[in-house]
Amino acid sequence: MLNNKIKSAYIISAKALARFSRMIFIAAILITNISSSIIAQVTEEVNLFSPVNRLKFGNHLFCNKDYLRAIDEYREYLKFSNNDTARFKFALSLAAIGRATEALDNYKGLFFSSIFSEQARMEFYKVNFLMEDYQKFRSLCTMQSYLPEKHKSEIVRLNFFTYLIDDIYLPDSAEFINSFDAEDKSEVADFYLRKKYPPYKSTVKAAILSAIIPGAGKIYTEDYAEGITAFIATGVLSFIAYNNFTNNHKLRGTLFAGLAVLSYAGNIYGSAASAQIYNAGIRFNFESEVKLYLNKKNYFIPVHNFLCN
Amino acid sequence: MKIILINIIIFTSALFAQDYLQRQYNHADNMFQNGLYYDAITEYKRLQFFDFEKKYSDEINYKIGLCYKHGAKFNEAIKYFAAAESEAVKIDDIYEIKTQIIRTNILRRTTDRAHQLLNNLEADPAYRDKLNDIIFWRGWNYMFADDWDKAAEAFAEIDPNHPLKILAEEVNKKQYSVTFTKFISYILPGSGEIYTGNYLPGLLSLSWNILWGYLTLDAFTHDRLFDGFAVGSLLWMRFYRGSAQNAEKFAIRENIKIANNTLRYIQNNYEGLKP
Amino acid sequence: MKYLFIIIITANILCAQTDWVKWEAAEPSYEIPVSQERNFRVDNSTIGSLIITGATKIYHIMVSDVDGDNCPFYPSCSEFFVEGVKSTNLFQGGLMFIDRFTRDINFFKSRNKYPLHVSGKLYDPVVNYTLKFHNITYIPHDHIVK
Repeated sequence: MLNNKIKSAYIISAKALARFSRMIFIAAILITNISSSIIAQVTEEVNLFSPVNRLKFGNHLFCNKDYLRAIDEYREYLKFSNNDTARFKFALSLAAIGRATEALDNYKGLFFSSIFSEQARMEFYKVNFLMEDYQKFRSLCTMQSYLPEKHKSEIVRLNFFTYLIDDIYLPDSAEFINSFDAEDKSEVADFYLRKKYPPYKSTVKAAILSAIIPGAGKIYTEDYAEGITAFIATGVLSFIAYNNFTNNHKLRGTLFAGLAVLSYAGNIYGSAASAQIYNAGIRFNFESEVKLYLNKKNYFIPVHNFLCN
Repeated sequence: MKIILINIIIFTSALFAQDYLQRQYNHADNMFQNGLYYDAITEYKRLQFFDFEKKYSDEINYKIGLCYKHGAKFNEAIKYFAAAESEAVKIDDIYEIKTQIIRTNILRRTTDRAHQLLNNLEADPAYRDKLNDIIFWRGWNYMFADDWDKAAEAFAEIDPNHPLKILAEEVNKKQYSVTFTKFISYILPGSGEIYTGNYLPGLLSLSWNILWGYLTLDAFTHDRLFDGFAVGSLLWMRFYRGSAQNAEKFAIRENIKIANNTLRYIQNNYEGLKP
Repeated sequence: MKYLFIIIITANILCAQTDWVKWEAAEPSYEIPVSQERNFRVDNSTIGSLIITGATKIYHIMVSDVDGDNCPFYPSCSEFFVEGVKSTNLFQGGLMFIDRFTRDINFFKSRNKYPLHVSGKLYDPVVNYTLKFHNITYIPHDHIVK
């Protein structure tokens, strides 16, 4: 009987122990799992491709001038939120890598009820200017709904500059020069005069000078060494022809005389061509200076330093 | 049973909440493995931007450098490798990056720079055990610099029967000596061109030189000094100089052809490590 | 540390421009780049062009390829003549050629007048000498023309 009691007590205690250890085991697993979940939550499950993070990364790329990548990030962000700053930077990025049409569309999207309305309108005109279709630019300048409210004068200045680069009549000088600030007037006046009265050389004058004295036309167009060479070449050939004729070498004389005539004719032609090349150089240098000046002035648009601080 | 199920669910959710940066790194690596190098750079840069603790810093710059290298944008690749090198800590990593810079210089054909870097590497006692590897890249550098003699010597140092050594020796044997070709042309105009296998220009050169030489000497022997000077300086000298110049040009052209045949073969068929 | 900062910033700015167009993987050729050989073809579209280009080709083979590299200009004088005749007429082309020859024999030719071509020669195209002002493409002398 005692044995049975001990046996049953043992069995009861074993069962209790087993139940107790099972409870401990389950509790232990629960605690580990829950705590590791909590740790996982505390260490921040971050979605790098969330709209906010795309925007942050896009801004970083924009400020590092990695525009094509910035464009992709901004595009994804703008699917979720119509943020004006993001759209403006998106348009700036498109313009920077030469995707003018898309940039223009995005600038237009900021024309109305946007904090970047003024800047977007100015950038819109700048992109149009850089597309080099100056007639279209001038017609855009007449569209009052596109013009910026507070910076109309800047666009007017840009408009005047199209006349300097384009092959078209120049407007009145007073109206032209007075559109600019006092500090810019002298430079603008200089550009105006150089456009109106370019220091070209006359092709006809160069040809006539070379007809009178071989090589003179080239000296007139500042090709000094070539002018002297042409003079010497024609001179030497003529002299050899004359020498041969006086020594009764008729065939040789005729040959060298022919060469002298060809040299003379070629030099007249070359002087005319030289004048044209000279003039092309004047035109090219003028246009380069104008474009450099515009670049320096950032096309009369305030620089957006605030975007990357 | 219910409790066990709940445990399994909680456990697996905890398992998947692994480091998001590691996931991004794997994603970028995935793009790299699949050859999408431009996109891989974007993802590496994204990781770099969000890696505030700079855990992956040196690896990212290295990987970006590799991406640029695979896109043949060597200037950019070298700049990123340089950035990775300044951040790397382990000797093996630094060596690996230095080697990549050398390999990129070889591909970019800035072989002088690669040569200088190889010299620095060889002089560095930390890389004593990598000597064979350094010589191997030196051999490649010589091949790209068209110096096949030195390339053969370099590969021979690694293994006298190295396949690249055999190829380099073959090229060295086949190539013409430019100095010799020019020299024989000065002695007999046209001979250099014939020697390099350009028979028609060689014969023409020889014929013109004989013609103008005869006319010049004839003029001088008949006291027509002006004619002699005119023909001699304007015509004979022109063709005589032209012959030597042509000989040199042909020799160089043939040598480049020979070298390019081997370089093309190596690029398409060599199984070993390439720049 | 400052060096690292400079390297990373420089790398970022310079790499940026390369990545303004999406690029693909590319394997560079191991072959040594070869300079372009003259690619002059005989033009048999008309009798006139056949005669001129044929004669020029014979001149190239017999004389020009044999007397060495004497012309400092690109295109060479004979090619200049052919192109000049093609774009204008025989008379005008002839005058252009004579002028070119005079410029060639000019010992003191100014490097500041002609831009450099990739082949190392001075770039002097026919289009600048046809007396059509608006066709002239002025290139500053410090540019390299491809």
